[in-house]
Amino acid sequence: MQQVKFEIKDLNLYYRAFQALKAISLSIPAHRITSFIGPSGCGKSSFLKTLNRLNDLVEGARVEGQVLLDGSDIYTQVDPITLRRRVGMVFQQPNPFPQSVYDNVAFGPRMQGISKKAALDEIVETSLRQAAIWEELKDRLRKSALSLSGGQQQRLCIARTLAVKPDVILMDEPTSALDPISTTKIEDLVVQLRERYTIVIVTHNMQQAARISDETAFFLLGEMVECNDTKEIFSHPASKKTEDYISGRFG
Amino acid sequence: MMRESYEKSLAALNDSLLQMGMLIETAIAGAVTALKSKDLALARKVMEQDYVIDTKEKEIAGLCVSLLLLQQPVASDLRMVTAASRIISDMERIGDQAADISEIVLAMESDDYCQYLGEIGAMAENAIGMLNDSIDAYVHQDLSLVKKVRAQDDTVDALFVKAKDSMADRLWNHARQNKCAIDLIMIAKYFERIADHSVNIANWTEFCKTGYYKSARII
Amino acid sequence: MERIKKAKLADACMTAVFCCVAGAFLLLLLVFASYVILRGFLGASPEMFTFTRKGMMNQLFNTVYLVFLSLLISAPLGIGAGICLSEYTRGGKLSELIRMCIETLSSLPSIVVGLFGYLVFILMTGFKWNLLAGALAVSILCLPLITSTTCDAMRNLPDAYRAGGMGLGATKWQTVSHILLPACLPRIFTGMILAAGRGFGEAAALLYTAGMSTDLNWSNWNLLSPTCPLNPMRPGETLSLYIWSSFTESTAANAQKAANLSAAILMLLVLVFNLLVRKLSQHIDRKSLGETVCSK
Repeated sequence: MQQVKFEIKDLNLYYRAFQALKAISLSIPAHRITSFIGPSGCGKSSFLKTLNRLNDLVEGARVEGQVLLDGSDIYTQVDPITLRRRVGMVFQQPNPFPQSVYDNVAFGPRMQGISKKAALDEIVETSLRQAAIWEELKDRLRKSALSLSGGQQQRLCIARTLAVKPDVILMDEPTSALDPISTTKIEDLVVQLRERYTIVIVTHNMQQAARISDETAFFLLGEMVECNDTKEIFSHPASKKTEDYISGRFG
Repeated sequence: MMRESYEKSLAALNDSLLQMGMLIETAIAGAVTALKSKDLALARKVMEQDYVIDTKEKEIAGLCVSLLLLQQPVASDLRMVTAASRIISDMERIGDQAADISEIVLAMESDDYCQYLGEIGAMAENAIGMLNDSIDAYVHQDLSLVKKVRAQDDTVDALFVKAKDSMADRLWNHARQNKCAIDLIMIAKYFERIADHSVNIANWTEFCKTGYYKSARII
Repeated sequence: MERIKKAKLADACMTAVFCCVAGAFLLLLLVFASYVILRGFLGASPEMFTFTRKGMMNQLFNTVYLVFLSLLISAPLGIGAGICLSEYTRGGKLSELIRMCIETLSSLPSIVVGLFGYLVFILMTGFKWNLLAGALAVSILCLPLITSTTCDAMRNLPDAYRAGGMGLGATKWQTVSHILLPACLPRIFTGMILAAGRGFGEAAALLYTAGMSTDLNWSNWNLLSPTCPLNPMRPGETLSLYIWSSFTESTAANAQKAANLSAAILMLLVLVFNLLVRKLSQHIDRKSLGETVCSK
């Protein structure tokens, strides 16, 4: 029986008068990679941000409906700070802080109150290993994170997210700003991370969704048209709109 | 290793293909032994195994389509997957022919045909040899074996012509051996088809390695 | 071809013009600074460099101490206001109002601030002229500068830092204090240099607040005593006031020379302070960024 991590019921998102998401209902299974595909402006990134309440920071954003994480409504029963420690996020542009590699990864645990050097050292090493970047950075921990290449910075951001030991990792087009080799490295990493975390990934690249995700949801103009097993969606899409999009006939 | 799950899928496809190769080699060897030694139990076994071969073909076909859909292979990987999807259909036909030969052996239960095998025996040996060589050619990506298999097809075709003449003669001159002769011609034809399918396997092996199929560059 | 030639000529001319402007500017600064410094030190006598009534080292000390006190007051307030404007009240009527207040404050004439200081910090409180009152008056002048530097520095930071910090489960204050503030520290320091520079040269605001006398006893460290150097409640004449008083009120023979030397010392003070704080901010930058190898 597949465990469900997120249960979304009838979610509507408004930016002032504009309705960005219309009656979205879907289940996100645990320990799987779920990807969201769809043309630009269809609401997939906005939907991702409702899952960790980063939309709260946008002026005029209003959410209606239920988003349940392990059964608890994240808008009424969970406070945003705790939520964001359980649901981490990796952004499209790598955004390491202007500090050393060590300080970047240790930021989350420090904010949680961990201050002992030994504990922090261990967390930093574990997180960098999980992000498959320990070997490259173990001699550069005190160097600035801004001196790394784009692919390394993105893996560092993933390590930073892993350091707070979340349950879920949200990724908003994590490889769209990277070269093909870095993209492949991150895809391999995401597939490995699936064993311990639930991963939700927004991507413009349908081939990427086909390569790595277990489930795919297709969004169009704020609605979720279809959500199914990736192989099913790409070989027998139920909706004609999905088929047109994935075969490149529009979008 | 990069793209680990992709590499694993390709390796799984290769393994499945080799397993299917082994199944049909066993099937043909069984059919020939059953034919030469009138081993009816073996013939029955070969017919039952055809179901396994068909299932294997469907499994590998699914693997090929999935790989193309989900992993978007290019270059040598693409040729390998495309070649695999074509080779399995020739292999499945060979499996069918082995079952058909065994079926005829069972039907000829009462006949005393072994003395009349003649060229068919040589055809059987050649067909087995060509099948083994074509599968080896795929395993080792060996183009010299591909050439050998193609050349051997001429031998089999020549033997088939002789076998036809013998059987025609038998039909004409020895009325009591009619039914047996017709059955044996069919068996000869099956061996000739097996040889042709082996040549196809060899051709797709050449495509897998070079991109050339029957001397034309198709990609 | 004619057009290209004309364009190239115009380009060469304007380059020359801008070089001249830069050169003139540099020349002006050099000439001015060296004139003042040379004139001051050439007419100096050794007794001027003493910590006595005849010398001006006491005034130098007062100047530095006063600016230090005013930064102590205005820096936390200014940085706090800057953070508030940039992070907590973005857009909206409140932030517009605060901005308007800051702009008004920054264009207040310093003599008016001085008189205000006199009214509130001297008359209302009943104290005599003291350094603290002077520091408070100067901090009113420094506050807008530090606030707007901090606010602009923080606004210029990419939103990605905020999103990154909040996305990791940090509170707004944690994001500000651990990511944003350290990233702007160099620029905030620059703002403080500018404010301090203004403070060093203030005269009008200090006329009726800090007082014109200075009587220090360097062996007295009783903080409550009026002759203790560190007592902020004592009157303290700064270098700029000393220059003014030497020129207008003093009857001493070498008053002119004393004034020149004061000016030279004040100028040197500003230059040295600039260099020191710049070095400090570079050092902090390097420490917080980690060593930068090379940019992407």
